Amino acid sequence: MAEGRQAAARRPLVFAAFALPTLGWLLAFFLVPLGIIWLYSVGENVSLTRVETTWTLSNYARILEPEILELALRSLRIAALATLVCLVIGFPMALVIATASPAAKPWLLLAIMLPFWTNLLIRTYALLNILGTRGRLNEALGWLHARLQGTLELLGLDHPGLMSEPFRPFTFLGTETGVVFGIVYVSLPFAILPLYSALERMDKSLLEASLDLGAGQLTTFRRVLLPLAMPGVVTAAIITFIPALGQFLTPDLLGRGQVDMIANVIERQFKGANDWPYGSAISMILLYATFILLALRAFADARRSAARDAR
Amino acid sequence: MTHDDALAIAARTRANVVNPLRGRSRPDAFDYSRRWSLRTVFALGCVFLYAPIVVLIVFSFNDSRRGGNVIWKGFTTKYYAKAFANEELMLAFANSLTIALVSTVFAVLLGTLTAVLLWRFRFPFKPLVEGLVTLPIVIPEICLGVALAIFFTRMGWMDTGGLAWPLNLSNITIAHITFSFPFAALVIRTRLQSFNVETEEAARDLGASEWRVFFDILLPHMRPGLVAAALLSFTLSLDDFVITFFTSGPNTVTFPVKIYSMVRFSVTPEINAASTVLIAITLVLTWAALRYQRTWKE
Amino acid sequence: MQRIRRPLSLLRTDRRRFMQAGLAVGVSLKLPAAAFAQDGQVNFYNWDTYIGEDTLDNFASETGIEVQYDLFADNNELFAKLRSGNPGYDVIVPSNDYVERMIVADMLLEIDHDKIPNIVNIDPAFVDPAFDPGRRYSLPYMWGTIGIGYRKSAVDQAPTSWNDVFTSDKYAGRIALLSEPTNVLQLAMKAAGKSLNDWSDENLAAAEQMLLAQKKNITAFAPDNGQDLLLAGEVDLAMEWNGDILQVMEEDDDIGFVLPEEGGLLWEDCLCIPTGAQNIDNAHALINYLLDAEAGADIAEFIYYATPNAAARELMDEDYTGNPAIFPPPSALQKSELAIFPGQEMLRKIDEAWTRVKAG
Repeated sequence: MAEGRQAAARRPLVFAAFALPTLGWLLAFFLVPLGIIWLYSVGENVSLTRVETTWTLSNYARILEPEILELALRSLRIAALATLVCLVIGFPMALVIATASPAAKPWLLLAIMLPFWTNLLIRTYALLNILGTRGRLNEALGWLHARLQGTLELLGLDHPGLMSEPFRPFTFLGTETGVVFGIVYVSLPFAILPLYSALERMDKSLLEASLDLGAGQLTTFRRVLLPLAMPGVVTAAIITFIPALGQFLTPDLLGRGQVDMIANVIERQFKGANDWPYGSAISMILLYATFILLALRAFADARRSAARDAR
Repeated sequence: MTHDDALAIAARTRANVVNPLRGRSRPDAFDYSRRWSLRTVFALGCVFLYAPIVVLIVFSFNDSRRGGNVIWKGFTTKYYAKAFANEELMLAFANSLTIALVSTVFAVLLGTLTAVLLWRFRFPFKPLVEGLVTLPIVIPEICLGVALAIFFTRMGWMDTGGLAWPLNLSNITIAHITFSFPFAALVIRTRLQSFNVETEEAARDLGASEWRVFFDILLPHMRPGLVAAALLSFTLSLDDFVITFFTSGPNTVTFPVKIYSMVRFSVTPEINAASTVLIAITLVLTWAALRYQRTWKE
Repeated sequence: MQRIRRPLSLLRTDRRRFMQAGLAVGVSLKLPAAAFAQDGQVNFYNWDTYIGEDTLDNFASETGIEVQYDLFADNNELFAKLRSGNPGYDVIVPSNDYVERMIVADMLLEIDHDKIPNIVNIDPAFVDPAFDPGRRYSLPYMWGTIGIGYRKSAVDQAPTSWNDVFTSDKYAGRIALLSEPTNVLQLAMKAAGKSLNDWSDENLAAAEQMLLAQKKNITAFAPDNGQDLLLAGEVDLAMEWNGDILQVMEEDDDIGFVLPEEGGLLWEDCLCIPTGAQNIDNAHALINYLLDAEAGADIAEFIYYATPNAAARELMDEDYTGNPAIFPPPSALQKSELAIFPGQEMLRKIDEAWTRVKAG
């Protein structure tokens, strides 16, 4: 709303005060190192430690191999699924925090952030402990299963076929489900925080008006609350989806090395395979894709607000 | 009709509605936190988040060496003693906290500047800048880590081991700020997008200066965004391994790096104990900060 | 002189040692102001839990040189980090094939043997390896093997061949492999009866096919936790480093370790001085100290890996020298091989083969 109200040229000093630190930092500490990566991506290994920029596209060509494309597709699928789950779980949680009493709010925020201040590796090992075939979750489910069987027997309802077999533990690890689970686990605060930020101090009167005018809770949610919170949802989606694509630890441990994602390939290039040009090329593709998408979106937004202002 | 008129009408309408079918008052329209359905979801979410943490804490009392997180062998608190006695671990934790705090402050600062820049101003090549600012979120960590390592080496800044603490952590801090300020910017900008411009215009009509508008109107509105951005940046920095590994030199060990190197050889309960201690310390610090904030307000 | 047998314990909490360690760490954890004094310091970059409890403090008190001790976890990470430029480490501990890699890449300084009188302590078998002829750039620190850890009650006999892991479906769904591409493919080649260093295109392709066919029987490609899976009962066979299996053997008597009849992979961690090191003389002093008989015995006893230091080995007791998981019998050792550096070209092919295995 009301984005871009001010032309930079009108208040050049104020604009510079905001622009210079930001763009300066970005240039010095990100774009210059990125430039090195970009030069590597069109270069070749000339020795074990030196890369020469030969302006070759062979690194980019290697990305078109079928196994890379398959891994890329798998990564997109897993990341998208994880983002969806994060949004579905995260929205109600953010809603609860945003509407809680001011005394409870900081504690609720702390409650959801605290797990993420534990080291990721240890948390993942704990998850392994829980999700293994002989892990805590399967133990709990097996216990439940046994209780259920016992109850059915007691009630004389134990027909063969209906829960008569012994419990077969679920396999969470080494599957895409396990990896999605792990990524959701790692990404949940990334979804909750922007949603909370968007929902906090939302204008209640609009919701009340909607209810008073006869709309039910669900309709109010769908047609008033959600659209109002949409910028938050989009941001939450972006900062969940993109880092999810870059996960390599979760596929390694929770996927038991069976569910490799594109980040695993990139990591290997910079480490074992010692092929920095190739690793740089794959990374650059991710950057190009996102940059283009975001720039297009920004372009469309600018067009839309210009059209609105013109009216 | 102005915004205030609409509010007034809504209030009157509510007061006038008499619903004979409902004897008790319905919960406030926005009072989701009192709704049991949502409370259950929240509770389940917390169970999901905390289950591994509980396992972690329970196993920190496990009397077993290698199988620290695998099989239970008996109760002991000796690994807490070991963790406290492990000076390197404590130093690593202190380093991590310092880097996280400094990095959060600067990330939120830079993030705010970026967010306001993109939200308020029109300027040529704006879509380009928007795209560029989001790139640090996209770039794979190992790629950025390697790039920064090369960059710092070429600049001759790599050998910081001789500098006094905390300056020897400057490389790592710079790296952390670089990858976390775009997250902060994105979150704060989203918050700004829900800002009601009319409030600002009203204030200006009443004679407020630019700075007053910023501090008394814009900043309070931004606060949830700032809080969210700060929490996000802190989390990103505290648990970063890859980028920290590549930008650190001798005598600049951080907690994740130390843990990763320990885990390769043994996920002993000492690591669990160290993590539990870290959680406890963070909890205490936050509680203290909240208490301080409340007394400061009064 | 036989050493008094000490109970195997990787984490001692004996009070005297605890106090000593506390004091000593205080010494090496010097305040940054003192860090300006570059003489009298050495930056040591080592694996975790890979040194004796008091080794560095003893070194400091004997020589007056303070040790700044930092840790890394992976050869690949070490190489990637140093490749960008040495941030100031004086002594590093890469494994044999990475030593070779670093020599090719000109990342190591020559070690001046005149400054290492303890070099005579080294076992003759380690004095002139193929990866560093004449020991110009490295000196041996510890060595070991990659073999198969297994649960005794779950197998009718100890695994005899790598094929139990790579081609047979006897233990389907109960197998864990390592996750390092080179190691897994090397041992797949061994299963096929070839040398693990015979990197030809045919052998590589055969190994890749073997893995693709076996993939359905593999439970996990475990980065560091194969032994945890074994201990937890999630797998019954784990391709693993001998030291890791030794640790879980302590926890559970039902676990054993064996080198298959084709032989296993031999690894050797070596002390090296990277280019760009600032304290070269002190680095030599540290390396010399680590090769001392007493110091070596201390280290070996604490970390329980095989020592290439013959003089140190003399000082150790039967429990250590007679342990087949640490010192494999000559029959198994004979067919075990040290890995060579496959070369950059082959590294790329290995990575591509591995990506195909993982994506398939």
